[in-house]
Amino acid sequence: MMQKRSLVSMMDPNIVSGVGRVFALLLICIAMGFASPVFFTARNISLIITNASIMAILGVGLTITVITCGPDLSVGSILTITAVVAVILVKANVHFLIAFMIALCMGTALGFLNGILVTKVGLPPFISTYGLQWALFGFAYVILKGYVIYNFDADFRFIGNGYLIGPISMPIVVMVIVVFLGWFVLRKTTIGRMFYATGANRDAARMSGIDTGKAILLAFSISGFLSALAGIVLVARINACQADIGKNLLLPSLATVYMGGTRATGGQGGVFGTLVGAVIMTVVENGMNLLGVPSVWRNAIIGTLIILTVLANIAVSKQLEKAGSKM
Amino acid sequence: MMKGKIEGLSPIRILRSLQPVFWVTLFLMLVFNFFSSRFLSLHNIINLFQQGAVLLIVAAASTLVILSEGLDLSLGSVLTLAGITSVMTVNGGAPVSVAIGVGVLTGLLCGALTGTLIAVFNMQPFIATLGIQGVYYGISLVLTDSVAILTKNKTFIFFGSRIGYIPMAAIIGVGVFLLILYVFHHTPFGRYVVAIGGNESGTRLSGVNTTFWKWFVYTFAGGITGFAGVLLAARLEAADPIVGVGWEFDAIAATILGGTSFQKGKGGVAGTALGVLLITVVRNGLNVIRTPSILQPALIGTILIIAIVIQVGLSMRSIEKEGKNRP
Repeated sequence: MMQKRSLVSMMDPNIVSGVGRVFALLLICIAMGFASPVFFTARNISLIITNASIMAILGVGLTITVITCGPDLSVGSILTITAVVAVILVKANVHFLIAFMIALCMGTALGFLNGILVTKVGLPPFISTYGLQWALFGFAYVILKGYVIYNFDADFRFIGNGYLIGPISMPIVVMVIVVFLGWFVLRKTTIGRMFYATGANRDAARMSGIDTGKAILLAFSISGFLSALAGIVLVARINACQADIGKNLLLPSLATVYMGGTRATGGQGGVFGTLVGAVIMTVVENGMNLLGVPSVWRNAIIGTLIILTVLANIAVSKQLEKAGSKM
Repeated sequence: MMKGKIEGLSPIRILRSLQPVFWVTLFLMLVFNFFSSRFLSLHNIINLFQQGAVLLIVAAASTLVILSEGLDLSLGSVLTLAGITSVMTVNGGAPVSVAIGVGVLTGLLCGALTGTLIAVFNMQPFIATLGIQGVYYGISLVLTDSVAILTKNKTFIFFGSRIGYIPMAAIIGVGVFLLILYVFHHTPFGRYVVAIGGNESGTRLSGVNTTFWKWFVYTFAGGITGFAGVLLAARLEAADPIVGVGWEFDAIAATILGGTSFQKGKGGVAGTALGVLLITVVRNGLNVIRTPSILQPALIGTILIIAIVIQVGLSMRSIEKEGKNRP
């Protein structure tokens, strides 16, 4: 009985609001198609999905942390500092694969540090990660001193601007792998169930024998790793790196997660929703560009979007609760 | 229950829990004075007060919000927006009193909107305030077209200047802080804030309109932060659309360093002054000993995180010990 109820409450919102979300995306796309003649060109669509991939890679890490205990607000800064270290190493003639490995290890370690601040020191995640980001942006600034590093080798850039087959670019490939692995870990492994259980009710999870500390450490480490990966893809794609490369990524990637239907209260959500959310977010940004919306409006629009989505999520879950209590 | 709350507020208990941050502050002061004897000169101590005044007000606002078991990540953007509207008003030829009123009103409106999202629509504080932060910064950028607005109005600037040795900003800052302290300790508002933080449903059941008071905490915090924004603009003789970036974290850090806990409404406004002192000492000290400005953000971020870890880690341990000693 207990088992069945918890399964229903986990699945239902995903299916119900999942369909609604895809529908919303289609509506936005059709509206964009009317507003701008170039929207439905193959080039623009390939561009949108490629741009969405960076948001989606960050979003998968954020989704896992939001499900487990609270959002990792340092994703943008971990992305920045690891990307900076990677490009510095590459420019110092280190082989690019070794630079990637170092960046990924560093991202994981910083994520682990976030986890330690939450589990051992006892800070709420949105404080420790929000605080860490200022220090990390500071260090990125120290390393680059305001310079822009650009022009990398073709080998290095392949992961960002190469193509696998036809119009399928490497960022899309990386995104598909990350989203698939994220889905697999969350839905098909005990680790995933640990994440959901910890986020739904930490005390209950601990009492039923789940090592919640380990779950939180793992969630933040994954988020750090994926931030570093997104950073590598981003730098390889735009062929340049500066100390504020990740500064404007936090709000949109967080919006992506909530648009994907992951609940801010934890314990519910999934990565496929985040993928759709990332595409919606990118279509909106792309639309703002095509329609010539001045860039000063960008933050205001994204902030409003976050608030509206979370309000919608709250309304949906209230409806579901009502439906559940009637049953 | 009630007894526990009063104990949590007793000055002796708060002072005892503040030992770690006190020693850290003293240690840093001695280190800075060792590197530059100018640090403890009368001139620089007056500087410390001048620089800490605005943060003192914002941090007091942040403390009230955190005591109610909330969080306001939008205070930095409110600070910015209020400074902009007041400078625009005074530059438009209105009297200074009107300009100050406009700044405070801006803060009140911002806070009221944030409070509505959190108290009425039950949004989680960190998402609501992070999203709305994007909106307020967006409006700031639109209003100023991304450029700082200077002001030459003598009366307006006067509030940020000095009379002889005495810095006006420090006097106003300390005055407002004492006012907030009075409101916190001697009005029903202060008691309700702590009660809501300690046990919201219990407070509601005992007949307090928790929705209203929760809304009011954010509105009040917005209003005084608006005033702080006017003061900051007067001191800088300009309103800059990005001046407030990161202030919300300084304010939260000062609150935590001042012994206020994120759980159960423990702590108080008075301790926050010590947190503000530590942060101001770090910022000012790094300048006085001539740390290269490029290094400062990274150093400040790191020192603050370490200080928070020390304060939270040690005070948690002492609370645990106390709990064990109790019958």
